[in-house]
Order: sequence, then C-alpha cells, then structure tokens
Amino acid sequence: MAMRRNILVALLFILFIIEGTIIPWLVPDAWQTRIVPHLVYIVILFVAVYGHRHTALVLGLIFGMIHDVVFYGQIIGTYSFAMGLSSYLMGLIFQAPRAPLPVMMTVVLLGSLLFDGILHALYTLFHLTDESFDFAFVDHMLPNLVIHFVFALVIYVPLRRQLEMLYRRRRASREDKA
Amino acid sequence: MLELFKLLGNKRLFILLMGLVLFIGLMGFTIGPRTTLSWPEKFTRDTIGFVQYVFYRPAGYIAGFFEDISTLRSLYEENEQLKTALAHYTRDKAKYNYIEQENERLKNDLHFTEEQRNKYNYEYRIAQVVSVNNDPNNRTLVIDLGARDGVKQNMSVTSAEGLVGIVSQVSNFTSTVKLLTSMDAKDPNSKAIAATALGKENDSFGMIESYDQASGTFIMTKIKETDPLQKGDTIVSSGIGGVFPRGMVIGTVVSRQVGDFGLTNTAQIKPAADFSDWKELFVVFTPEVKE
Repeated sequence: MAMRRNILVALLFILFIIEGTIIPWLVPDAWQTRIVPHLVYIVILFVAVYGHRHTALVLGLIFGMIHDVVFYGQIIGTYSFAMGLSSYLMGLIFQAPRAPLPVMMTVVLLGSLLFDGILHALYTLFHLTDESFDFAFVDHMLPNLVIHFVFALVIYVPLRRQLEMLYRRRRASREDKA
Repeated sequence: MLELFKLLGNKRLFILLMGLVLFIGLMGFTIGPRTTLSWPEKFTRDTIGFVQYVFYRPAGYIAGFFEDISTLRSLYEENEQLKTALAHYTRDKAKYNYIEQENERLKNDLHFTEEQRNKYNYEYRIAQVVSVNNDPNNRTLVIDLGARDGVKQNMSVTSAEGLVGIVSQVSNFTSTVKLLTSMDAKDPNSKAIAATALGKENDSFGMIESYDQASGTFIMTKIKETDPLQKGDTIVSSGIGGVFPRGMVIGTVVSRQVGDFGLTNTAQIKPAADFSDWKELFVVFTPEVKE
C-alpha cells in the first residue's frame, strides 16, 4: 500500500515535469499563454474525491510550492495557496468514494474554474496583473477548462481504479482495528 | 463577544485562519526585492532543474524535427533572403571596421580610462532553456546557467531575435528568467526599458513600461511630440537606465498615437522575439563596475 502511495506521488512529480517541459512544445505558438494546463492539480482533484480531502490539501500545498519555487518570477505562494485551498474545498463538498463519472467531471470543471479564479484574484490583489476577470476568463480560463476536462476523461478509468484499491485497503484495515 | 471566542475554539477554523495569515505573510515577504534565495529553495530548484533538463531537450529535438519537415518548402525562399542579407553585411562590415578604428583612435586621443573603454564591451553567454511556465500572469523560463557561472539578478536575456527578459532569481546551477511580457507599469519591482529607435539614437527616446496582453505589443510611452520615431522603426534599448544594456533589439513600431494626457506620444511595439519554441538564449554579461 505504501508502494502504491509512492507511485501516486511519483506520478504527480512526472506530471509536474511534463507540464513545464513537454506541454509548451505541444501547444501551438499563438496559444502559448492561453493553454496552460495544470495536470497535477487535476490528479489532486481525483485524490480529493476518491481519497481524502486532507491528503489532497497536503499534496496541493507541496506541489503548488514546488511550482512556485521553480518558476519564481515575482512571488512565492500563489500556486501553493490556490492549489491547497481549492482542492480542499472541492474535497469538502464532493468527497465520495463512489462518485460516478458525471460528478467527477463536474468537480473537474468547477475546480478548474475555482483554481484559476483564486490565482487571478491573488495576482490582482498584489497588483501583478491588470487584466480584468472577463478578459482572463475568455483568454485562458476557458481553454484551460476544456483541456482539463479532456485530460480528466482520459485518466478517469485507470486513476480511479488505482485510488479505489489504495483507499479500500486502507479503509478495510482501519475497520479491522476498530 | 463570548460566541466569537467560541468560534475561535473551533480547531479547523483556527488552522484555516493561521494558514491564511501564514500565506499572506509568505507572499508579502517574497514579493519584495530579494537578492539571494534560501538553501531549500536553491536545492529544490537545482534538483528539479536537472530533471527538467533531461526531459526538455529530447522533446525539443522531436518538435524541431517535425517543424523542419513542415518548413522544408520555404527553405529555398529563406536561402535567397539570407544571401541578400549576407551581401548587405559584407558591405556594412567594411564601413563598420573603418568607423571602429576611427573610434578607437579618437578614444585614445581623448584619454579614455579602461572602464570607459570597456563600458559597452558585453559578453554573450549561451544558455539552454530547461523548462517553461506559460502562466500569463507570471511567465517565466528556467535556464541552465546559475550563480556558479556568474549569473546575477537583473541580467538581460536575449534570443537570437531580440530581448526576452531579465533574470529574476538565481540558484547555483539554474536561474529563472522573467519574460518581458509580464512587465507592468503599476508593479514597483518591474523595470522599465529606456528605448530609442535604430538609426535615430540621438533624437529619439521613450520608455517601454508595460505589455498589452490583448494586442500582444509593448507600450512605449513618454515620446516627445517632435520625436522622429515612426511606424516600421526598429526599437532598441538605449542603455540609459542602467539595468538593460545598450543596443538590445526589442521590436518594431506598429503604430504611434497621442498619449493619455495629450502631452506626449505613445507607440505600440511588436516584439522581435516570438516568445515560443524556446531553445537557446543568451545571457548578457556587462563588464563589472569597480566599487
């Protein structure tokens, strides 16, 4: 079980590396700033729904912080805060081990909007951007939303199976002790 | 009042509030000018930078291969253009050599100090891009030159086409480049570029302070009404500000109009660098100024 958990963390790490190195080559030039998918965050959303919201919170904080530190332009903490808070909130509302596909997709759509919304609010708060919410929404939040949705559909079956195995065993062992 | 205290007794709410305060503190601390990074930050950046390097180069090669195939047809045309450009260069080189020698002689006659002579003697060091962050609010790149190679904060980074950004943070083996597209006039840490037009260096002046996300152009402000700057001019940095070296190509003028208050003019500059498909970049090392 510890093995499986390690694989989950390794998967998140590899996704983080792919986000920064391979995705920019796949996105067409004109769409470079418009499609900025947060693949790590989507996997964390799956953990929030099928696993536990506290795990999702910690994963979100850690991987957000790594992103902040590696791509440190002006400020540290925005990604960490946005990822941690939004995955915790989505877990708090939707956490259900038996959630079917439509519910999970709703979580991905809402979560993606929430994440980009928090990021935009933070950058506006610190005067790091002066684009309006309407512009940001059409410019990169909507394209991101579509990419996130497609990515979630692709990983839904394998990831859910793995997470269910991971958490069913943990829940069973907890019941044995009780 | 008592109920308010009871609310604080709620453990979850307490942790949430503490987290909020902690994060706002962290963001407030890191947004200011920081000269060095702490060792956990350096360690994270260097290790992850190494892993990213392993991934980025092969991806670039594969993408480059497909791009080469698609541009195969335009190769002939491009070759023709380059031949013309080369002819121009050889002609200009003769002229340049003559002017350079005359310049050297005049400097000798005027007894220039060593420091004055070397002021514009820049060194360009090649750097490989390691990873890219395209978040429109915080566009950054990671390059594989760091403090070990002598990179310092606020050094300029250019591509073969033109100015790209400035080094925002340095760790031992990698450094982060903040792209010019995140320039913002309202941000106190953002640095404006003193710019001039190529060929009109003595008469033309303006400040490039911000980037317009919607139109994809830099906004050059504070241009005098009598300024000869016009559409189609190439804009280069003038080196007056001190942060950006002299003669870095920034872009071409797309349009010029009367500014916000009617006293000065504003121009829109189309960037020379295309801000995509990052491969090699150059870090500009300016000569050390003795304290």
